[in-house]
Amino acid sequence: MASSLHDAPSAAVNGTSAAAADSKSQVHKKPRLYADPSPPLFTPSDILSEFSHHDPTVARINNGSFGSCPSSVISAQNDFRLQWLRQPDDFYFNQLQPKILQSRTIIKDLINADHVDEVSIVDNATTAAAIVLQQIAWGFAEGKFDHGDAAVMLHYAYGAVKKSVEAYVTRAGGYVIEVPLPFPVNSADEIVHEFRQALQRGKQNGRRVRLAVIDHVTSMPTVVIPVKELVTICREEGVDQVFVDAAHGIGCVDIDMKQIGADFYTSNLHKWYFCPPSVAFLYCKRSVNNSDLHHPVVSHEYGNGLAIESAWIGTRDYSAQLVVPKVLEFINRFEGGINGIKKRNHECVVEMGQMLVEAWGTHLGCPPEMCSSMVMVGLPACLGISSDRDALNLRTCLREKFAVEVPIYYRSPKDGEEGGVTGYARISYQVYNKAEDYYKFRDAINQLVDNAFTCASLPNS
Amino acid sequence: MNSTSISAAVTPQPLFITPAEVCSEFSYHHPSVARINNGGFGCCPSSLISYQRQIQMQWLRQPDEFFFNQLQPGMLRSRNVIKDLINADHVDEVSIVDNVSTAISIVLQHMAWGFAEGKFHSGDATVMFHCAYGAVKKSVEAYFVRAGGYVIEVPLPFPVNSDDEILQEFRQALDKSKQNGRRVRLAIIDHVTFMPTVVMPVKQLVSICREAGIDHVFIDAAHGIGCVDVDMKQIGADFYTSNLHKWLFCPPSAAFLYCRKSNQSSALHHPVVTHQYGNGLATESSWIGTRDYSAQLVVPKVLEFVNRFEGGIDGIKRRNHDAVVDMGEMLAKAWGTQLGCPPHMCSSMVMVGLPACLHVSSDQDSWKLRTYLRDKFGVEVSIYYRPPKDGEVGPLTGYARISYQVYNKVDDYYKFRDAINQLVHDAFTCASLPDSYIRLV
Repeated sequence: MASSLHDAPSAAVNGTSAAAADSKSQVHKKPRLYADPSPPLFTPSDILSEFSHHDPTVARINNGSFGSCPSSVISAQNDFRLQWLRQPDDFYFNQLQPKILQSRTIIKDLINADHVDEVSIVDNATTAAAIVLQQIAWGFAEGKFDHGDAAVMLHYAYGAVKKSVEAYVTRAGGYVIEVPLPFPVNSADEIVHEFRQALQRGKQNGRRVRLAVIDHVTSMPTVVIPVKELVTICREEGVDQVFVDAAHGIGCVDIDMKQIGADFYTSNLHKWYFCPPSVAFLYCKRSVNNSDLHHPVVSHEYGNGLAIESAWIGTRDYSAQLVVPKVLEFINRFEGGINGIKKRNHECVVEMGQMLVEAWGTHLGCPPEMCSSMVMVGLPACLGISSDRDALNLRTCLREKFAVEVPIYYRSPKDGEEGGVTGYARISYQVYNKAEDYYKFRDAINQLVDNAFTCASLPNS
Repeated sequence: MNSTSISAAVTPQPLFITPAEVCSEFSYHHPSVARINNGGFGCCPSSLISYQRQIQMQWLRQPDEFFFNQLQPGMLRSRNVIKDLINADHVDEVSIVDNVSTAISIVLQHMAWGFAEGKFHSGDATVMFHCAYGAVKKSVEAYFVRAGGYVIEVPLPFPVNSDDEILQEFRQALDKSKQNGRRVRLAIIDHVTFMPTVVMPVKQLVSICREAGIDHVFIDAAHGIGCVDVDMKQIGADFYTSNLHKWLFCPPSAAFLYCRKSNQSSALHHPVVTHQYGNGLATESSWIGTRDYSAQLVVPKVLEFVNRFEGGIDGIKRRNHDAVVDMGEMLAKAWGTQLGCPPHMCSSMVMVGLPACLHVSSDQDSWKLRTYLRDKFGVEVSIYYRPPKDGEVGPLTGYARISYQVYNKVDDYYKFRDAINQLVHDAFTCASLPDSYIRLV
């Protein structure tokens, strides 16, 4: 086994290590939340302890779906919950808004936004999508857009986002163009090429393209999209607004708002940034073009700007949004902070992915440089995955019979293809994972192959 | 039975909950605060918080398994409990959402589509009471007015002496709109107004709406379940929403939106769209992306808690009502003031006039006084400014909205009584507090 998998954060060292100092300079203007000396880096057993609440019998190689949250952050969250319950009026009037602002400020620095007004905190990327798309619906309803004006999105856009586009854009009279993406994919150029073509289609017949929805990292199948290039193309082609859906964003890929240049950018913090469920940010670049965003749940803050509206949408549990400072502390106890974590996650998931394809005689779904902390790994063709239903059934079988948690993707064969790989597993790697988790998966599949298992043998329920 | 799965099994309790147990359940409340504002943010007993935490840990332990196997059955169980509580016909009529604000937005967004899609015409109206909750008014502005609708506001007399006064104002407003040839598409009626708080005669108001041919009747019962009697078939509205965390002991936050089955009701959508879009509001609302749904999953356990009290939720309601009227009358007597409405128009809350010499003369003053009571006297209570009407001589302009919930004690209200008496004794007026005293952020 290669050593990088065991390249856990270095043993605790009192005082500021050089690596930790480096991480501080990488994220400029990062707020210091503790007095010198810095808390020591986590040891492997610290990490084990922080995630000891995970089911120990499960090979949890699906961080991409629901994320993870360390015990110390859960404790901090519970403290906030109790503070609220103890005297909610006092918390509401004196604590809640300053603490949300503190979280927003940290996020602003993390993502290199210009101003904290540009950063709103919402429940999840799905909510952020609804906010951006509802604004488009009003554009049609109020005559700013013409019937038939277009929105462009990737074919592999997340299912919920596609539905949101249907609910707000199609329903309001817009025309939706899906950009087909090759999968397996071999280079970013393939994606750029398809995108350009789709935009041309969008502009046919004098149509305006009002919105482009671009994933930063697609969900299924997972691939890192060259967002910077795509945003540039959008600008060249006169697309009104560009919305980057980075549900898998912060903590998974590099995020720099000024670099990427989109009008809107959303990312979940509970997937790859260790926040409890659930919290996400929606970045809205300050411009005339997008001053009319509103949270769909209207409260007395309506009209005071999206960030303020989002910070109070009625009585609810806001505690997940308040622990961002604590999460930052947690992350900074890893060598290299979030950048170190990202780098190691990426290297490990690629390593594990290559181990699996070698064991099964298959291939990865994309080259390593197009992976984040997740990668698609081809499953042996003999398993006979021939529908979405098969993929889901296989996933259930892996969970129930082998205690392996991993999402499975069905990739329909193209014309002329035969006997190829039709099933891919999306494996994730996060700080709590170990090589054993992936061996367990490797062995489970090997066993199924040995037993001449096929998906057809699974009951449809 | 797997002890880690959520169970709706009712644990038989041989005895009713004792006062000591009630005390213990709420012992984590700030001990030095006279917490007489349950209507603000509600409350939740420790045993339910613990149970909720278990659910949260189940999710965190193995979220995929929870998502695929536990979440939807759990939500359905909660919806069924609510359906029975509110006497709805079918569980499809019951959606669980975060809070009433969300429910309001759902109904109003639907109305906005009505305008956009030509079902309604520019100038079509909604009718609501002037004292409707601020967030509701904003939602009407954001969706109904923005889409081209017109708002008819009905004044609520306050202090109020009878249901008839309210019914009369409502009828007058509807008659006027009819004269103007306006089509009224939606009536938004509070079941219990929030400030000033009064129980509205909703059944009669709904009847008036039906007679007047109003398309949709929507009852905002933020203070509903656990506070007043909630029976969907009795009340007869098209939409009805109530918070569960205010008066039904749920942790923050959970609410239901009831939509009477009809051609219209199938067209409502949750504004946060997921893969469940188009499967009905109840199903859409039970998955709006990754979030903590635990507050919505504890509803069956909440019912167990409530049933440990004599008479269950009805017993609690009755005792709360009797106690708050008692305390209100005690205060009014001590201060030489009055209640804002007769006892039968109170729920578990009542408006109590404050001594005029405190000179509450603006909304600003009422916020300042509230903050002062919290900071200096450890009393948490909402204060309302009631502007004087033309011709009134020396009216009461300040009212406190006191609540009574199972954790309250007589001492809480004595503490408030004494605080106000002290302020009067010290010749305190709101003007003496600087404008900056309100620490609203």
